[in-house]
Amino acid sequence: MSEPAAKKEQYSVIGKSVPKVDAYDKATGRARYTGDLKVPNALVGKILRSPHAHARIISIDTSKAEQLPGVKAVITAKDVPSVMYGISPARYDENIFAVEKVLYVGDKVAAVAAVDEETAVKALNLIDVEYEVLPPVLDPFRAMDPDQPQLHEQYPRNISVEIHQNFGDVDKALADAYHVRTDTFSGTRAAHVPMEPHAALSKWEGGKLTITCSTQSPHYFQYHIARVFGLKMGDVRVLKSYVGGGFGGKLEPSGAEYVSAALAMKTGRPVKLVFDRWEVFVHHRGRHPQHITLTTGVTKEGKLLGCHARFIIDGGAYTSLGIASAYYAGAMLPLIYMFDHYRFDGFRVHTNLPSCGAQRGHGAPQPRFAFESQLDMIAKDLGMDSIDIRLVNARKPDTMTPNEFKVNSCAFTEAIQKARRISGWDEKKGKLASGKGIGIGCGGFISGNGYPIYRTRLPHAGAVIKVSEQGDIATLYTGAVDIGQGSDTVLAQMAAEAMGIDFEDIKLVTADTETTPHDFGAYASRQTLMSGWAVKEAGEEVRRQVLELAAEMLEANVEDMNVDRRVIYVKGSPEKSIPFERVANEFFITRGPLVGRGKYAPPKLGGSFKGAPVGTSPAYSFAAQISQVETDEETGQVMVTDVWDVHDCGQVINPTLLHAQVEGALFMGMGEAMYEAMVFDANGKPLNANLGDYRIPTALDVPQVVSDLVDSYEPAGPWGVKEVGEGATLPTMGSYANAIYDAIGIRIYDMPLTPEKVWRAIEQRKRQEREAAEKK
Amino acid sequence: MIVPEFDYLTPQTLNEACALLGEYGSRAKVLAGGSDLVVKMKNGLLKPDYIVSLKNLQDLKGIRYEAGTGVIIGARTTHNRVVENEILRERFPSVSAAAGTMAAYQVRNIGTIGGNLVNAVPSADMPPILIALSAKARIVGLSGERLVDLEEFFLGPGKTVLNQDEILAEIIIPDQATTGSSYIKFGLRRAGSLAVAGVASSVMMDGEMAEDVRIVLGAVAPTPLRAREAEAVLRGKKVSQELIEQAGKIAAAESKPITDIRGSAEYRRHLVDVLTRRTLKTAIEKGHV
Ligand SMILES: Cc1cc2nc3c(=O)[nH]c(=O)nc-3n(C[C@H](O)[C@H](O)[C@H](O)COP(=O)(O)OP(=O)(O)OC[C@H]3O[C@@H](n4cnc5c(N)ncnc54)[C@H](O)[C@@H]3O)c2cc1C
Repeated sequence: MSEPAAKKEQYSVIGKSVPKVDAYDKATGRARYTGDLKVPNALVGKILRSPHAHARIISIDTSKAEQLPGVKAVITAKDVPSVMYGISPARYDENIFAVEKVLYVGDKVAAVAAVDEETAVKALNLIDVEYEVLPPVLDPFRAMDPDQPQLHEQYPRNISVEIHQNFGDVDKALADAYHVRTDTFSGTRAAHVPMEPHAALSKWEGGKLTITCSTQSPHYFQYHIARVFGLKMGDVRVLKSYVGGGFGGKLEPSGAEYVSAALAMKTGRPVKLVFDRWEVFVHHRGRHPQHITLTTGVTKEGKLLGCHARFIIDGGAYTSLGIASAYYAGAMLPLIYMFDHYRFDGFRVHTNLPSCGAQRGHGAPQPRFAFESQLDMIAKDLGMDSIDIRLVNARKPDTMTPNEFKVNSCAFTEAIQKARRISGWDEKKGKLASGKGIGIGCGGFISGNGYPIYRTRLPHAGAVIKVSEQGDIATLYTGAVDIGQGSDTVLAQMAAEAMGIDFEDIKLVTADTETTPHDFGAYASRQTLMSGWAVKEAGEEVRRQVLELAAEMLEANVEDMNVDRRVIYVKGSPEKSIPFERVANEFFITRGPLVGRGKYAPPKLGGSFKGAPVGTSPAYSFAAQISQVETDEETGQVMVTDVWDVHDCGQVINPTLLHAQVEGALFMGMGEAMYEAMVFDANGKPLNANLGDYRIPTALDVPQVVSDLVDSYEPAGPWGVKEVGEGATLPTMGSYANAIYDAIGIRIYDMPLTPEKVWRAIEQRKRQEREAAEKK
Repeated sequence: MIVPEFDYLTPQTLNEACALLGEYGSRAKVLAGGSDLVVKMKNGLLKPDYIVSLKNLQDLKGIRYEAGTGVIIGARTTHNRVVENEILRERFPSVSAAAGTMAAYQVRNIGTIGGNLVNAVPSADMPPILIALSAKARIVGLSGERLVDLEEFFLGPGKTVLNQDEILAEIIIPDQATTGSSYIKFGLRRAGSLAVAGVASSVMMDGEMAEDVRIVLGAVAPTPLRAREAEAVLRGKKVSQELIEQAGKIAAAESKPITDIRGSAEYRRHLVDVLTRRTLKTAIEKGHV
């Protein structure tokens, strides 16, 4: 699969760590995020949220709030469309404001628009809501019991999604196995914690709604907002300013847009609404806490035969993107190791807690933690090395998973071997000083989703490149969304490469439903591959037109023409050359605008069973991560000192950005592994919805990271690319848990691996050892 | 997340400041770095009508040594100054180190030692080590000034002996020869986390004998707590591993922790045991001359 090295060297712009296009603006503070935007005459919007996890709304009295000077509008459910929204059409179950019942602490009840934030906050306090408090459902294991209160009428027994998928004959595989293990693991409600909170600035002018917001997908926002307000999509323009992180939480409208739009329509003035940190936490839509039971069978040699995975997934109050998360949880499990027999039974249940949705690695990281932990336990049972058992089972290129995902390139084996080598595994495993340990975890992820979230025949990405009349610059118009990950930079590199001009020659207009071609946005690790294809096609169309004209001008054959870094020349006779800008300028004069267009739609992917589309992708990344830890056995504190990550992510467009994605994803995985969990009191009130008590790793906490690559080329990606942004989140929890086991012989089944939990496990082991000694 | 309205007052002298505090009573609040006060105001927990800023009171800033008295730290001295100060690093490095465990670099640039003490939260990082070193607070009010043992300073969460018109001016750490000290904070990450438990020990050594011992526990009681019974285990004795272990166990038993989202009472008690042993060991080593 590997592309010949000679060809790689021909690239002039891709494969190089050009600086991010927005680095200067961000480093100097010049970058303006939605909350920083100032427009004349704008009002400030604020949302009144429920203090109860489950309650019936008896009455709402807004009269006092309306009388407060400076208040321009107070709205509740009766003032806004009653159209339900959500993200999967089968489960639209949210209203802009709660109609009859509130379902979690933080549910939206009313909103105000006022001349400033202070007045808006005062007004919120003047809204009188009378509630009848209902008993909340807080325990996902009990949520399905018949005696539990019901959250939604349309979901009996609080079952949000029920999934049963069966491939091959798992029962027989387990019966034939030499060794079978069943273990149960659980994850937490970890949050995205974007530095920039959700925010929207809405304008309503001449029947047109314009919303500038912090979004991962202007397209989906436009689609849903138009639907809810009964507007033509063309009358809703969604665009973004700089976005300070999304991680999955800004893929669906948060309410900031719906509410600010409703307030703008009511007042006729622009309305800006920015969540505070508490709102970001309670709105959530982050990780689902999953409870995962795996029954896995292997041969004597450690070859995986089959696996039965059972999930209880706490979805919180609403469905959000959770239907997809629930499918992903099971669908991604058979990706990285080869086995034929797989069954997956899952229940996503509703509780009166913040709704869960998509978060980096979408549904897959916790099951991956479970599988990587169990695989280590199996290796130990068999007396095998943890890496050897992975090598025995590692997926091979050009194979198919039991759930019919087609894998083209796959350098997973090479990644594991390289991680083994650079980490010094063979010298360390089982041989480190007391309290120190080393562990491996692996992962793999989609490079873009095979199917969009709602049914549509639109291609997944489009791009237009317009070369200036002078030919000195080219503007790339793409709907792809840079949320900090650097897609603008990567796509500009691709555009320049495709056209044969320099990176510095590219200007960008991005992520605006009105001025840029459609793109589904930044999620599912899709843009480098999918938006990249559209950009490549557009760039090549420009290149073809320029070379045709240049051939005429130089009186040469078009097949003999080439362009590299703005110089167009005849292959073999470089003295016959002409600058790109001269030809482009001539093009405009004689033929009109020089424009290239591109689009990308993936081929038909996946099987035909229920839920088959979830997890399909044109290409998959693979990764091996090895972590080294030091534990303080007296306090249970664990320090991760080093991590080696080796990725198969196809051809690399910008190495610095790639390694930054690996580090960021890994640190996010680390947070979920070591620190992060939203916690609630007995009434469902969040106890740590702030950045002091909900701890994410700081720069001082993170380990030394070596991020490395294996040579790889993906035929389904432009220039051979695959994903990296999400996949690197997957191996971390498992590799930490396995390293802790190596260090102190303690197996922790539930995240996060807090010192107290580790200490308790150590104490329990000591007790057991004492009891065993006494028996003797 | 809106700071309620208030009048901002900037007295030029300590007396003027005390007068303002006396006049406005509970409607006024002193502002030093604001890293506790402003957070509380933003969260709606405090709504003072007057903010009395100490920013013009230059005398309250800085660290100096006076022979016969000890090291004197102005209440307005920021944590990072305490971390970096040469006098402290030489004489009481454990105090610098304790300040270095606070918050994060940015907060240490604004947060002050006085604010940390007067704020009087059970998990505060400066009280245990200062009490372990027998520090005193110089308090100035309308009717003059007084010296209070820091040990007597704290009355409960958020409560100190300060009267409404009083300001904490200085902290005095008396000279103490052959004394070693140490503070260990157990937090849940390396920056920006509050203590789950914190223990400070100081030991005055006489050869192999622990002539005096002070063990102070943080975050495991409503106020910083001296573990007097644990101290007694070692005081006047030849130090040994056994006695240190015994002291740890007794200190754990003396602590009165609660269970909250940072840790259970049981775990905190265990941490007190571990941290007491560890701080005692370091203090004893450093106390040897
Ligand atoms: C992100 C963050 C992390 C933190 N981490 C820690 C930590 O790890 N450990 C820790 O102990 N604390 C921590 N804190 C709390 C805080 O930073 C410290 O307590 C700091 O020392 C407070 O000092 P200040 O000058 O900012 O106090 P201010 O907020 O200005 O004042 C605090 C209180 O003391 C009063 N006051 C201040 N100075 C005087 C004076 N001279 N006389 C009389 N009254 C006075 C004020 O009226 C107020 O009630 C943290 C705070 C933040 C925001």
